[in-house]
Amino acid sequence: MSPDRAALFTATGFFLAGFGYTVRSLSKGKPTATWPAFLLLLAGFSCQCAFLLWRGRDLGRCPITTPFELLTFVSWAMVLLYFLTGTAYRLSLLGAFTAPLAFVLQGTALLKPETAAVPSRSRPGFWPEMHATLSLIAYGAFALACVAGILYLIQDRLLKRHRGMQVVRHLPPVHHLSQAVHRLILIGTIILSSGILAAYQMPNRPPVGKLAFVWAIWGIYAAILAYDHWRGMSPRKAAWAASLGFLLPIISLWVVVRR
Amino acid sequence: MPVVCLGLSHSNAPVEVRERLAFAARDLPDAVASLSSQQGISEAVIVSTCNRIEIYAAGDSPSPAVESWLRLRFQLDGDLPFFRHTDEDAASHLFAVVSGLDSMVLGETEIFGQVKDAYSTAHSSGTTGRLLNKLFQHSFRVGKMVRNSTDIQRGSTSVGSVAVELAEKIFGDLKETRVMLLGAGDMSRRCAQSLQSRGASAIVVSNRSYDRAVELAAEMSGRAILFDAWPAEVAETDVIISSTAAPHTVIHPDLILPALRRRRGRPLFIIDIAVPRDVDPAVNEIPGVYLYDIDALESIAGETRARREQEIVRCLAIIKDQVRSLPLFQPAPDGSPSPIHRPA
Repeated sequence: MSPDRAALFTATGFFLAGFGYTVRSLSKGKPTATWPAFLLLLAGFSCQCAFLLWRGRDLGRCPITTPFELLTFVSWAMVLLYFLTGTAYRLSLLGAFTAPLAFVLQGTALLKPETAAVPSRSRPGFWPEMHATLSLIAYGAFALACVAGILYLIQDRLLKRHRGMQVVRHLPPVHHLSQAVHRLILIGTIILSSGILAAYQMPNRPPVGKLAFVWAIWGIYAAILAYDHWRGMSPRKAAWAASLGFLLPIISLWVVVRR
Repeated sequence: MPVVCLGLSHSNAPVEVRERLAFAARDLPDAVASLSSQQGISEAVIVSTCNRIEIYAAGDSPSPAVESWLRLRFQLDGDLPFFRHTDEDAASHLFAVVSGLDSMVLGETEIFGQVKDAYSTAHSSGTTGRLLNKLFQHSFRVGKMVRNSTDIQRGSTSVGSVAVELAEKIFGDLKETRVMLLGAGDMSRRCAQSLQSRGASAIVVSNRSYDRAVELAAEMSGRAILFDAWPAEVAETDVIISSTAAPHTVIHPDLILPALRRRRGRPLFIIDIAVPRDVDPAVNEIPGVYLYDIDALESIAGETRARREQEIVRCLAIIKDQVRSLPLFQPAPDGSPSPIHRPA
């Protein structure tokens, strides 16, 4: 097994362990926001960085050339954004739920047959690389918004029905979650806007169908922000929108991965 | 040299008896010094709280010496409901007390500090020696162990603390939380004080009797408003505690909904502790509004209490293990008696 694939296997193992730790803590009614959970996520992230570094060095460009690399890159972006936003809002459980999503994305990547990193003869150029990279980082933000949205819906339901205090105790406050959903959508939309701008700077424009799909994703999230700004969207609607809205980036990734 | 624990607590003596034997904090150093100077006693610690008076003593014949000292000091006659524990039983009892297992509110944490203070007073008065030092120091380790490895102190067991816990799960930090009291009842005041103790700052009081509202607002460093003015304050309020004496509901969806848009997605927590209820249950259907009445709060507190009860078995198992492994009760490797069974 190549060292980069071994790093990815190890990262996936850390995310699985992180998820297992959270499930175990929740079932025993113990706090989940602990150092072991954080360290497992950090260890997984370090292995992801090692994978991307090795792969990028071998390819001589950003490692987003195959479905295998694409899925890993999105997973990496998601964990990176968790470290940049999640800890700031003390949403440690968000990290615990980030771990299973990272596990699923990387598990799917590992199911793909191993492809050796073949250095490309012609580099794609600055703007195509920027377009792809920024779009995938934006997808990472939308994935995290989806996780925060799902957590919001669970916490909201439990608080409304006066049930499951054992679970309520370990989930982040609903207000923090709704703020996280809003901020992650905003961050993702800004990054995706930059990615779309980069596409228009490319010497050879991407196919119209592909661009239309990216615009559709941008439109969904921009509409959520606009509706919230002008009409005031309830946090529950925003959480549903963030959770269901992520279906479009997933479809887009699925189309790419199926190639 | 045996160790004895003699005392009474809320479980075996009513408050009229406990208050007769209570030691004021300022009298404790002299009292414990006087106790340890009694014949048959060489070490002593007095734990005196509102729920218990317990004396731990080691010596040749500590039990009768402690009892006669108590009778003399408080001029007691007749039978008193003292409990007595000796050696391993005394250690088990102390570990259970420090762990909150013998408290009125099971698992409460205040007793840990109270026992620590009592030990510290005795230690600085020079009334503790090898046996009680080891016993008490070990008890603090056991107390921490029990609390960390079981759920004995998890969750809230009173209406006020449940309200605070829920508010924290809705808003997170309560520092910028604004609270409005509808009605100036004692329970709503206590609830608001619990929120204040966790950082809630702005308090608004609205009551049918404006004078009473002004009085309560002054007590809580808040602001009083006329009763008719409360709906206008909803947009700026995060927690409403309602306890009016109205025979019908006073908070309806049509009074809450107009304020929600101006709240920009910030949730609203309504605590209805009035009977009959002040808040129309339909309010709980509004997105972002969380309504809890007295039954809902009581039920959460009751669940926590029941869960703590279930933890007792695990706590006692830890205590049993710790007593068994305590070196005070272990014979020396050469076969000589354990420190507690050696003559003084």
